[in-house]
Amino acid sequence: MTTECLTNKKVLTKGNYAIAQAAILAGCQCYFGYPITPQSEIGEFMSGKMQELKRGYVSAESELAAINMTIGAVSTGVKAMTSSSSCAVALMQEGLSYATADELPVVLISVMRGGPGLGNIYPSQGDYFQATKGGGNGDYHLIVLAPSTVQECVDLTYKAFYLAQKYRNPAVLLADGLLGQMMEPVEFYDYPYPEIDTSSWALTGAKGREARIIRSYAPLADNQCVFLEKLYQKYKVIEENEVEWEEINTDDADIILVSFGSTSRNAKTAMKQLREKGIKAGLFRPVTLYPFPNKRLHELAQKTKKFVTVEVNMGQMVNDVRLAVNGACPVELVNKGVGAPPSAAEIVSKIEELL
Amino acid sequence: MATQVFKLPESLKGDVKYSFCPGCDHGIAVRLVAEVIDELGIRENTILSASIGCSVTTYDFINVDALEAPHGRAMAEATGIKRARPDKIVFTYQGDGDFASIGLAESMHAALRGEKLTAICINNTTYGMTGGQLGPTTLLGQVTTTSPTGRNVDYYGYPIKIAEHIALCDGTAFSARVSLDTVANIRKAKQAIKKAFEVQIKGLGFGFVEILSTCPTNWKMSPQKAHERVRNEMMAVFKPGIYKDQT
Amino acid sequence: MEKNFIIAGFGGQGVLLAGEVLANAFMLAGKHVTWYPSYGAEMRGGTVNCEVVMSDEEVSEVNKSDADFVIALNQASFDKFLSKIKKGGWMIANSTLAREIKTRTDINYLFAPITKLAEDVGNIKMANILALGLLVKASRLVNLETLNQALDTVIPPHRKNLLPLNIKALKIGYEYDLLTV
Repeated sequence: MTTECLTNKKVLTKGNYAIAQAAILAGCQCYFGYPITPQSEIGEFMSGKMQELKRGYVSAESELAAINMTIGAVSTGVKAMTSSSSCAVALMQEGLSYATADELPVVLISVMRGGPGLGNIYPSQGDYFQATKGGGNGDYHLIVLAPSTVQECVDLTYKAFYLAQKYRNPAVLLADGLLGQMMEPVEFYDYPYPEIDTSSWALTGAKGREARIIRSYAPLADNQCVFLEKLYQKYKVIEENEVEWEEINTDDADIILVSFGSTSRNAKTAMKQLREKGIKAGLFRPVTLYPFPNKRLHELAQKTKKFVTVEVNMGQMVNDVRLAVNGACPVELVNKGVGAPPSAAEIVSKIEELL
Repeated sequence: MATQVFKLPESLKGDVKYSFCPGCDHGIAVRLVAEVIDELGIRENTILSASIGCSVTTYDFINVDALEAPHGRAMAEATGIKRARPDKIVFTYQGDGDFASIGLAESMHAALRGEKLTAICINNTTYGMTGGQLGPTTLLGQVTTTSPTGRNVDYYGYPIKIAEHIALCDGTAFSARVSLDTVANIRKAKQAIKKAFEVQIKGLGFGFVEILSTCPTNWKMSPQKAHERVRNEMMAVFKPGIYKDQT
Repeated sequence: MEKNFIIAGFGGQGVLLAGEVLANAFMLAGKHVTWYPSYGAEMRGGTVNCEVVMSDEEVSEVNKSDADFVIALNQASFDKFLSKIKKGGWMIANSTLAREIKTRTDINYLFAPITKLAEDVGNIKMANILALGLLVKASRLVNLETLNQALDTVIPPHRKNLLPLNIKALKIGYEYDLLTV
């Protein structure tokens, strides 16, 4: 499929539709999902579009089924994805753990809502831990990308497919209910990454070669140690090459706001307002939550006086910033439990209290 | 001149140690599946979605591409494989715990969707790999490590008749229950397995075979006694037969 | 310059669509714009609103606490959003379904019988678009022609037969005499 009808033209698009459309353009051959607010538009869009394009689509019976159908599809070398939200992504943790062990390029779109438990359908960043620390068993990482605009929902959906295949590791697009539901002008374009050759490992039938087995079962402890070493060598390469972040006004900043996703937009405005008040503020926005920009934060910690993370959760990323900073300067938290991000004015006033 | 009358099916790996317990019917079932794959000439175009349980190492024995699924999710992974590569022959090899307990939702929905898949399910009335606990097919009165005084209805409810349930799904094209207790029944079992693959190849729908099997180790019986139990006790509840055939 | 708009009413009154049309118009006019909805839990009949923020630069915030312009298509929306209007801002209210009471003196009011005018156009469902006509006139932030284009963008191909009626509703809203207020 080409973007002929869409290229070079801005289209006002809802985040969820932007993600779905980008997945189609990225060459996603199969979609499996179970509805949950606030991301149901992704499955709705895919149900029609995938059938129109004669690609794979299943209204899965559960999120357990959806993630495992996705594993099945990507094991054959094609691009495939599922999408879900919070309490239902919780059901996928087992599958994600298997997919890392199987080294399979699963793409998961996780559109966060309020939790714990059923929580509510309001936007949230409460699944930072779920995505970056994982709820599945064993040692593993998911590649986690956090868009802050609807345009980035497109850009990073492409990137999720690419990185997943490049490293044969599940990749998560960690959006939130606000991004999923809001509309902004976006530009679609052709998939900008090279296609990855999957023929050396994909299950396509043992024709003219040995039969392949994709499995995580490692009955012997020694073998598992070897595998884990290899897996973590891969994570080292990812950490060295794929860290992405944005920083504004950090050079002379006395205080650096660290914020990801849709919340970072308000943090950015707050940073500008602090500057207008004569406070030297900067903004640091991790785009990849794994790999996390530890190194850069550590560098900045040597010259700034304070970090403040701005999050819509009870304080999750703040822990990673503290680890990166390693005591070089204080790291504070400005947060809100759930809902749309705190306003710039609220952020400014809370930061003024901290100074 | 010597005539070869018996050989290893091409779809079985010859150079591996088969890890099933002596007298267990898994070995026969795996061999029958391999013979069917050979006879249909589909080995190079077939993908196995393997399960968890005693069946976990099936991929070490059957010489086809294979993906290991988490416990109960073999039908979901098979669905994903088939939707991504509709030209491939995709099958699962599962135990009753995997297929009809933890994976019941995936199994029923694959059948209801009429997925062009083949599922082979071993029914040995127990969770074999974990040491003989009560499973979904454990018979009333049967003693297991988690039903020490025998399965009673008050605490455990009733065993599931899998082949009958799968036959009720509109997407199912073939559903049968077979046993491996006699040579004649082994022949019938092979025919059923073949049909379960053929309905997939012909695009008719979901193909299913439930195989009544022994577990001499956990039943604490000799292989001979175990087969008598299949005949006398299991078949009384799980009646062999073809429950649906749309070929 | 950044201006924000809230369009509110009952579920089913088309407030989300009106917001989408407005946001498209700003996009077509080359502005930065965001559209963000807020629903009740019900699928139909609850109160619904959406926020549209238009800016010459990157939109500063989504889900703002105040608004420059509010369109209230029913009484509940009028009551809910009156206090959120910035000083000197506008309350554009549907007088068919909301009482003409001006408790605040620091804002502008535009009461029009939007539902009745839509009925006169020939389709009560045109109330949302008709209200946009009023907004265009009061705000002067986007022109009618761009809104017509936005309607064309938003209305799907299989509903294109409704485009002329929408354009007519927009025009009637736009031409509703401001002086009669």
